[in-house]
Amino acid sequence: MRFIEFAELCERLEALSGRLEMITVVSEALPKFSEEELPVVVNFLMGRVFPDWSPLKLGIGPNLLYEAVAYVTGDTKERVIEEINRRGDAGRAVEHLIANKEQTSFFVQELEVFEIYREFERIARSEGKGSQRSKLLAIRRLFGNSRPIEARYLARLLLGELRIGIGEGNMRGAIAKAFGVPSEQVEHAYQARNDLGQVAVLARMGASALSKVQIELFRPVKMMLAQQGTIQEMVKEHGVVAAEYKYDGSRFQFHRSGKEFRIYSRRLEDVTKALPDVVKRLAAATTTDLILDGEVIAVREGRPRPFQFVLQRFRRKHEVSSYVEEIELVPYVFDILFLEGETLIDLPFSERRRRLEQAIPAYVAPQLQSSDPEELEEFYHRALDAGHEGIMLKDLESTYMPGVRGKRWVKIKPEVDTLDLVVIGAEWGEGRRAHLFGSFLLACRSEGKLLPVGKVATGISDEDLADLYALFKDLVVSEAGKEVAFKPEVVFEVGYSEIQKSPNYESGYALRFPRFIRLRADKGVEDADSLETISLRFQQRPSA
Amino acid sequence: MLKATIDADIFRESVDAISALVTECRLHAEPDRIYTRAVDTANVAMISFQLKKEAFESYQGTKEELGLDITKLKNILGMMTKGGSIRLNLPEGGQKLELSFNSYHYSITLLDVNTIRKDPNPPTIELPGRIVISGDVLFSAIKAASVVSDKIALGIDPSRQQFYMMAEGDTDHIRLELGRNELEELTLVEVRSLFSLDYLKDMGKIMARAEKVEIHLGVNHPVKFSFDIAGGRGHIDYLLAPRIEAE
Repeated sequence: MRFIEFAELCERLEALSGRLEMITVVSEALPKFSEEELPVVVNFLMGRVFPDWSPLKLGIGPNLLYEAVAYVTGDTKERVIEEINRRGDAGRAVEHLIANKEQTSFFVQELEVFEIYREFERIARSEGKGSQRSKLLAIRRLFGNSRPIEARYLARLLLGELRIGIGEGNMRGAIAKAFGVPSEQVEHAYQARNDLGQVAVLARMGASALSKVQIELFRPVKMMLAQQGTIQEMVKEHGVVAAEYKYDGSRFQFHRSGKEFRIYSRRLEDVTKALPDVVKRLAAATTTDLILDGEVIAVREGRPRPFQFVLQRFRRKHEVSSYVEEIELVPYVFDILFLEGETLIDLPFSERRRRLEQAIPAYVAPQLQSSDPEELEEFYHRALDAGHEGIMLKDLESTYMPGVRGKRWVKIKPEVDTLDLVVIGAEWGEGRRAHLFGSFLLACRSEGKLLPVGKVATGISDEDLADLYALFKDLVVSEAGKEVAFKPEVVFEVGYSEIQKSPNYESGYALRFPRFIRLRADKGVEDADSLETISLRFQQRPSA
Repeated sequence: MLKATIDADIFRESVDAISALVTECRLHAEPDRIYTRAVDTANVAMISFQLKKEAFESYQGTKEELGLDITKLKNILGMMTKGGSIRLNLPEGGQKLELSFNSYHYSITLLDVNTIRKDPNPPTIELPGRIVISGDVLFSAIKAASVVSDKIALGIDPSRQQFYMMAEGDTDHIRLELGRNELEELTLVEVRSLFSLDYLKDMGKIMARAEKVEIHLGVNHPVKFSFDIAGGRGHIDYLLAPRIEAE
C-alpha cells in the first residue's frame, strides 16, 4: 500500500470525533492491507513505529527532523523551527513547508508503507559512529519523496504522536469488527502477544488462531497493574485475599530458557546486562524454563533503600560491576506467567502461586492469605515498619491480565494521591531561573492522544531544575512566547490535593496543588495514567 | 569481474566527485568502462559519471554491478599518500572488493545493490543556454556568492552579451559578469534560473579542477554542468534542480 493512502486514512480519522465512527473507518480499512503491511499499519495508526515488546527504538529527536526538512525544502533550520513555533503543530508546519518549498526536485518516488517501515528498522539498527548521519539521510529521503499530506503524518509519526485519536482501545475494537472476532479474544491475545499488529494478523486467520495464542519466552508481556483501593472493599468483594508487601523498587520480568536468561524492565526494555547479580541469583534459584514477575529492591543491612538507587542500577550501561558492589539488589518474585512450555496467565492466582513456590523456592515474596481486615491492617503496618511502600491485595481467583489496571489487584499505601503524567511542555522560568524550564505541562493518555491536566512547578529543587533542563532540551518541538512543547517521552510522578473538573484543560480535569514528586525514568508514555484513571479518582474522591 | 590498476589521484578524484552528492551508489563495470548514475537523497541533484578503460593503467572488466559505500571508500583513500597506483580486484560474483595500495591491502565488503536506489533516469529537457567556463572561475564565483546568500541565480543577458552569476542576501548583493572575451563559448539566448548554493558548493569543489566546464541553462529549469576528468578519458555530468522563487 502506498503511504499516501495511509496519510489519507489518517486525515479522515483526524476529522472524526466519534469513537464508533473511528472504529468503523479503521475496521473497513484493515482488511485491505497485505499480511506484511497489516501489523505495520496497526502500529502506525496508534502513532507507534515498533510494538512495545520490540527492543528497537527509532531514536529520532526533533532536531534531526528539522534538519532533514530544511534540506528538502531548501529552507534554513531556523526557518523550519519558526514555522513550527508559529503553528504549534510540527505535522501541519512540515506539511506547509513541503507544500510551499522553493527547491524543486527531479522526481518523487512513491513511498510505500512497508518500505517506510523497513527504513525505520534500518534506522533503529544503525548505531555507533556515523549513525546520526545515516539517520539524517534516511529521513531526508523520506521527506524528499513526500507529498504535503504525507509529510504531515510522517513528521508526527517520527515525533511519536499521530494525533488522530486511535489508541489501543479503539484499535482492539477495530480489529474485532474488521475480522468478525469477539473483542474479548482480541484483548486476550493482545495481553499474551503484546503486539496488536500481530493480533490483527491472527484475527484475520480467525477466532481459533486467536485463541491459540501463547506467551513466548524472550518476548516480554506487559505487567499486570493495580488500582488504588482499601482493605475493607477488597475483603467485602472477595473474602479471603492474598496480601503481599508493596516494594518500593522496580518491576521486572525474568525469562529463562535453558541456559539463557533475560530480565526486562517495566518498560519491557532488556536490562539483563545492567543486572548481572539479579540474573545470577534467579538463575541459581531456578532449573526450568519460565517467566517470572517480580520487583527488585535495593537493600542495605537488610533495610530497603529508596527507589532512586534501584533506578541507578537499571539505567547503568557502563562500569556495571562497580555499581553491583555499591548497590545491592534483591529480587522478590510474586507471579509466574509461563512454565515449561505452558502459558499460565489464565489460571487463578492461587494456582499460579502454588506453581511459583514449586518452581522457585527462594525469593518468593512472603504472602498472607486472610479475610480479616484487622489482620491485614496489621500486615500493612508491618510492611511500612520494614521500610516498604505498603501492601498489595490480590483476588485469589484472578487471572493474570497483562497491561490491565483492574480491581483484582489493589495497592494500599499511605500517600495515594499521585499520578504518573506525561510531560508535554513547559514554560520558561523567571529571574534567575529564566534560562531553565520553570513549570511543566502535564498530560494523561486518552486513546492515543495526550490531554493536558495541569502544570507543575512546586516541589522542584534548583538542582532538579538544572537536571530537568538537560533532560528536556533535546526534546523541544516548538516554542511560542514563554511556552515550549516537548516530544512526549518523559513521565513525572505528581502529587495533588484534589482532582477538580475544569474547562481550562482539554482533559476536562485539573489538579489542585500539584507538586513534583519524582521523575519516573522507569515509565514510558504508554505507562502514564489515563483519563479513565483520573475520572475514576474524581468519582472516588472523599467529597463525592 | 573487475581487475584494474589506476593512478591513485584519478581514482580519488572520481570518488570525490561521486561523494559530492551521494554516500552510496551502484557502480557498473563493463568491458570498456565503469559508470554510475546517482541522485541525492532529496532528488535534487544527479550525477552521471564514467571512466573509460583508457583512464586505467590496466583494465579487465565484465558486466558487473557493485554496491559501493562511497563514504567508506573516501575515508580509505583519505589515508593514502598522493601519487602511486591502486590495484582493484573483484572476482566474478564476488562480495568483496580488494583494493591494494603500496603495501596496504584492503578488502571492502560491497553493499547489497538491492538496498541502493536504482539508477535514476536523467530528465529529458531542453536547455538552450550554453556557456563554457574555466572550472576555477566557476568555483570562485560560487564561493563568493555563498558569503552573502544561500542561493544563486545563473543567467545569460543576450543584449549585454554576458553570462552572469548573482546572489542576493538580506543585506548584501553580489554580481559577477563575464563577457565573451572571458568565456570560451556563450550562446546568446535569454535564460535564468535560481539554485541552492549548498549543492553548488559541493559540486564546485570538484569542478574547480576542470579546465573547461560546459554549463547548460534554461528559464527556471535545471542546470547541467558537463566536464571531463582524467585527461578526457572520463566524464561527469552534474544536474541540479532549480529553486523557484516565491511569488
